[in-house]
Amino acid sequence: MKAAGKSGVSGFAPAAMPYLLLAVLIVLPFFGPGPNTVRLLFVTFVWVTVSIAWNILGGFGGQVSFGFAVFYGLGAYTAALAVNSGLHTVLALLLAAGVAALASLAIGLPTFRLRGPYFAIATIGVSEAVRVVMTNVSMTGGASGYRILETRPFHQLDHFYIALGLAVLAVAASAGIRRSSFGLALIAIRENEDAASDLGVNAFRAKLLAHACAAALTGAAGGVYAQYAAFIHPQGVFAFSIGVAILLMPIIGGVGTIWGPVIGGVVYGLIHEELVASFPQLHLLIYGSLLILIVLFEPAGLFGLLDRWFRVLAGARRIRAANP
Amino acid sequence: MSAADLLNLLIAALLLAGVYAAMSVGMTIIYGVMKIVNLAHAGFLMLGAYFVYELYTHLGIDPLLGVLFAFPVFFFLGMAVHRILVRRIPTSDQPTLTSLLLLFGLWLVLQNLGYVVWGNSDRAILTPRTLDVLQVGRISFPTVRLVVFGAALVALASLEFVLHKTWFGRAVRALMQNNDAGRIVGVNVDRTARVAFGVGIAFAGAAGGLLAMLYSFSPDFGGPFLLRAFVIIVLGGLESFAGVAIGSLILALVETFSILVLPANYQPAIAFSLLVVALVVLPRGVAGLWNKRHDCA
Repeated sequence: MKAAGKSGVSGFAPAAMPYLLLAVLIVLPFFGPGPNTVRLLFVTFVWVTVSIAWNILGGFGGQVSFGFAVFYGLGAYTAALAVNSGLHTVLALLLAAGVAALASLAIGLPTFRLRGPYFAIATIGVSEAVRVVMTNVSMTGGASGYRILETRPFHQLDHFYIALGLAVLAVAASAGIRRSSFGLALIAIRENEDAASDLGVNAFRAKLLAHACAAALTGAAGGVYAQYAAFIHPQGVFAFSIGVAILLMPIIGGVGTIWGPVIGGVVYGLIHEELVASFPQLHLLIYGSLLILIVLFEPAGLFGLLDRWFRVLAGARRIRAANP
Repeated sequence: MSAADLLNLLIAALLLAGVYAAMSVGMTIIYGVMKIVNLAHAGFLMLGAYFVYELYTHLGIDPLLGVLFAFPVFFFLGMAVHRILVRRIPTSDQPTLTSLLLLFGLWLVLQNLGYVVWGNSDRAILTPRTLDVLQVGRISFPTVRLVVFGAALVALASLEFVLHKTWFGRAVRALMQNNDAGRIVGVNVDRTARVAFGVGIAFAGAAGGLLAMLYSFSPDFGGPFLLRAFVIIVLGGLESFAGVAIGSLILALVETFSILVLPANYQPAIAFSLLVVALVVLPRGVAGLWNKRHDCA
C-alpha cells in the first residue's frame, strides 16, 4: 500500500478518517439511537474485534485456524465465572484474555509443528473436542449453559463503550503488530516459512506469540459478549459455526490488511443480525458463496475490491486531468 | 466382561470399520491425485444420504439400490464440480490453503442448501431390515450393519479392481506417486484429475447413503464423519488404500472399545482428539512407524 503512494483506498480515505469514525461512534449514543441500533453496533464491535484477532495469526502469519471458537468460548465462560465471583468487569475481561492466551499456548505447542492445511484441520479437531468436553463439564452447567447473576442494573451503553474500546484496542494492536519487526516476521513466515527461518526468524515462537495475541483479543471479546448476554451455553459460544464465522470475516473483508477485517466484521455483523432472525441458514449460504467467489476471483477480499475500484477511479481522474 | 461380549464388540468394530473405509476412500483418491483436502466431502456425504432417502420415500427404491444409483449421479456431479470450481485453483504438490478454503466454502453452500431444501429436522431411513438381528449363539449381528458392511466391501473391491486393472487406475496411481513423472510418461493430468475427483465424490455420495441406513441425519450430517474420514486417512498415511483399511480399523476399534473406559458423553471427542494426536505424532501414518528407518537410510 505504502509503495503505491496516494492511490487506491488510501488516496481517498484521509488518514484522519479512523479518528473521525471513532469520534462519531463515541458521541452517537447522545443522539438517542434506539436500543436495537445500540445492540447492533455492540455486536458489530465484538465481531470486528475477533475478526481483527484472527487476522493477526491468519492474515499476517498465514496460519488458517478453524478453532477460534475455543478462545471465544473460554473467554466467555471465564468472564462469566469471574463476574459471578464478584470481580470487576475490566478485571474479568483481563482474566478472560489471559485464560484464552494460555489455552492458545496449550493448543499451539503441539499443532504448530504442523504446516498449513494440516494445522488448519487439527484446529477443527481441537475445537470440536473442546466443545464436547465443555458440554459435559458440570461446574459450568454443561449443555444447559451458565447464567451471570445480575446484581447490578443493566446499562446497555456501558457495554457499548466497553465493546467499542476493545475494538479500538484491537485495531491499534493490529496496526502496531503490522508495523513492528514481529509483524514483518509473521509476514515472512506467511510467504515462505523455510526462507524466514533461514533469515533468523524463530517461526515457531513467532507463531505461538501471534496465536496468543489473537487468542487474548478473542477471549476478551467472548467475555464482553458474555457479560452483555448474561447467559451462555456451549452450543452457542463454542459452536463450530462461531469458529467458521471468525475465519470468514477477515477473509471476506480482506486478509492480511488492517482495515479489511474491520470491513469484514462490519459486513458480517450487519448481515448476520438482519438475516439470522428471519432466515437462519441463508447467511451461511451467502457466506459460503462469497468465500468461493473470493478464493477464485478476489483473494484480497472486499478491501481489495474497493482498492481496485478506487484505483480505476483515480486513473480515470488522472486521465481527465491530463487531457482537459 | 464375558468372552461373548468382547466378541460382540469386536464384530461391531469390524462392521463399523467397513463403512468407515468406504467413507474415507474417496478422500484419499482426491488427496492422492490432487493434494486437495476435500472438506466438501461432508457436504457430499449429506447429499448422498438425502439422495437415497428421497429415492426410498418417494419412489420406494430400496436403499441398497439407491446407493448403487448414487455412484453414477455423484460421479458426474463431482466431475462438474471439478470443471466449474476445482480446476480454477493452482495445483501444487503440497496441499494449499486456497483449495482448503474453496472446498470449505463449497461445504458451507451444500450444507445450507440442504437446510433450505430439507429443513433442520432429523430424518432416518427405516426399512423392514433396520431392526432385524441375526443371532448366532450368543453373538448377534444387526442385519442392516451386515448389509452395509457387505456393500462397502463390494464398493472397495471394485475400486481396487479399477485401480489395478485399468489404464485410468494406473494413471491415478502414477499421479499419486509422482505428478511430474506421470505427466512425462503421458498421463493426461487434467482429465485424470477430473475423473478421480468424480470417483472420490461418487464414493462420498454412496458412503453417505450407506451411513444414512445406520444413523439418522440432518443437513449437518457430514461434519463428524468428515473429521473421522480425516483421522482415518492420516492414520493410513494419507495416500495409501491399504492405509485406509488400517486407519478405519484403528478408529473403529478405539471408538467401540472406548465405551468401556469413557462415559458415552465424551465419545464424540475421541475422533477429534485422535485426529490431533495422529497429525502431530504420526504425520506419515501408522505405516510411517516401520518405514521410518528405511527412509533415513
